[in-house]
Amino acid sequence: MFLQQLINGLAQGSLFALIAISFSLVWGLLKMVNFALGEVYMLGAYAGWLVVTHVSPNLGLALAAGFAAGWAAGWLIEKVAFKALRGVPHIASLVCTIGFSFFLKEGATWAFGAETKGMPAFYSRTACTIAEANISWLQVIMVVIAVVMMAGLQLLFFRTKIGLAVRTVAMDYRTASLMGMKVDKVTSLAFSLSGALAGFVGVLAAVYYNAIFPSMGFVAGLKGFTAAVFGGITSIPGAILGGYLLGPIENLSVQFVSSGYRDFVSYSILIIFLLFRPNGILGKKTKL
Amino acid sequence: MRKTLTVFMVAALAATGIGRAATKADANTIHIALTAPITGDYAEYGTNFKRSVEMGIEEINAAGGVLGKKFVLSVGDSKGDPKESVNLAEKWISDPSVFAQIGDFTSTCCMASQPIYNRAGMIQLSPTASHTKFAAGSKWSFSIVGTQAMEQPFMAKLAVQHLKAKNIAILYINNDWGADTQKFFKENFEQMGGKIVAVESFFQGEKDFTAVLIKLRQAKPDALYIATMFNDCATISQQREKMGWNLPTLGPSSLYSPQLIALGGTSVNGLYSNVSFFTKDPDKRIQAYVTGFQKRYNDTPNFHAALAYDSIYLLADAIKRAGSLDREKVRETLAATKDFKGLTGSITFTPNRDAVKSYKYIQVVNGEFQLPKI
Repeated sequence: MFLQQLINGLAQGSLFALIAISFSLVWGLLKMVNFALGEVYMLGAYAGWLVVTHVSPNLGLALAAGFAAGWAAGWLIEKVAFKALRGVPHIASLVCTIGFSFFLKEGATWAFGAETKGMPAFYSRTACTIAEANISWLQVIMVVIAVVMMAGLQLLFFRTKIGLAVRTVAMDYRTASLMGMKVDKVTSLAFSLSGALAGFVGVLAAVYYNAIFPSMGFVAGLKGFTAAVFGGITSIPGAILGGYLLGPIENLSVQFVSSGYRDFVSYSILIIFLLFRPNGILGKKTKL
Repeated sequence: MRKTLTVFMVAALAATGIGRAATKADANTIHIALTAPITGDYAEYGTNFKRSVEMGIEEINAAGGVLGKKFVLSVGDSKGDPKESVNLAEKWISDPSVFAQIGDFTSTCCMASQPIYNRAGMIQLSPTASHTKFAAGSKWSFSIVGTQAMEQPFMAKLAVQHLKAKNIAILYINNDWGADTQKFFKENFEQMGGKIVAVESFFQGEKDFTAVLIKLRQAKPDALYIATMFNDCATISQQREKMGWNLPTLGPSSLYSPQLIALGGTSVNGLYSNVSFFTKDPDKRIQAYVTGFQKRYNDTPNFHAALAYDSIYLLADAIKRAGSLDREKVRETLAATKDFKGLTGSITFTPNRDAVKSYKYIQVVNGEFQLPKI
């Protein structure tokens, strides 16, 4: 039973880790939180659902649609909430992203209706059984996709020119712009990428839980943010670690404490880390 | 700047004033307020409330109205949030033309706004609040869904007599309603000699039930009791099926919705619940309502929608019997309602203003709700 909880926790952790990366991408660049990410995740799920039900029942295509929808949403949020509000206090952008989250949620309710939509099952058969613990193909695929995504991002940031540009702007955007860097382009790219990741995870989660509804992003966004703070929001490996720790911790707390305390455990971690170690487990020591 | 602002404000005031005159009540109308979660997590229920009440009012008005007056409706969106529900209650009571209020959807919202209606002396008729402490809390509050205290003994009986279950595990949504529902099921089942071997809960918005299902499975129950809304139940059942855990499942009337089967697929086959409204009921009035609803909204109504439809007819009936628009008199007449023939069964109020309902078992068989022979 312990093993089964651990495996399910790791699968869930993959989802948390990917959302956490979305948060840390934006944070790393602008020291700001995009609170609409949960809703971008929801938007991605709907995009995937549209493709599966109207175009072709293909998981790859659905994931691509989620990625594209998330990219577009991330791009738009940056243009409105950050670029247009540059130079005014940070809080304005923050509130604007909260506004976006309401806008996207109510927009989805208007466009798709409030009722829960189902997603056809993909790869739900059991891949293997270890000591009575079942692992489904979907769980395997989720972990593999997550790991590949993370490795790809690490390569992008540390082995390419684009990555170098993002890291430079993250370090000091004023100096970077004085040196002739196209700060706007880099910021826009990071936002779009962050949104695309969130949209992508939205599709994965929609398939895994077989449920799509307008308010699905709230809990997902909060848990992803928790994972990011837990592992260290300033670093991508930190965000990954946070996600993969939070998933099993949640599942094991259900097993050994009580299911009612699942969110209590997660949000206690969030509060304790924000209070006492805001840099997370792996984060570099910076002033927040 | 100030000038433009003044002009703008005057224009805005004028606009609202005109709007008011056009939509709100006059001497020949009865103004009813509806509070429902039109947006937010419970939007599908709120939308159905609005649809059913609008449909009912149109029919009543087409038939000549009540006491020679026509109904007009104002709808307020509580978003499923008790704070919004309270704000709306304040809004309705401050408008002297509003005669009575229908709503809200959740017990939590109804109980939050109850003191306001009580203070103002306005009827608060909730189609769906099933918490045992709601209607009992104020003489102006009414609920027609029947309380969990009456429904759960019926389900416990099914578990004991038909399923022959001795050990049951419970999974419930942790809110006023879920806690109340599981409490009454547990009490009744234990009184009938059964044993509850595990109780677990979750909060609104949770979608990962694998961990809690694994834990419940370890208690080796004969059946699983699921006290949630139908969409959560569908997700729970699917994750249970994926785990390869097969056992009889049952739950309260909130599970009765075509969406349960649409979302749950094969995983909800065999599930037991109960209804006091069934869309396939051959009764003529029910069929007229179902086809009328489908024609208007291209959607099949569920239990909650039918309750909202009954609410407006019940209110119209009480006003007719009272013969006047005196609030206290209508309240007394409504409280004295006996055997009102609604779509969701006949309605008679207890001294606590809860409706006594009759229930039927239903079961999902081959992807369809059926009335099992029990």
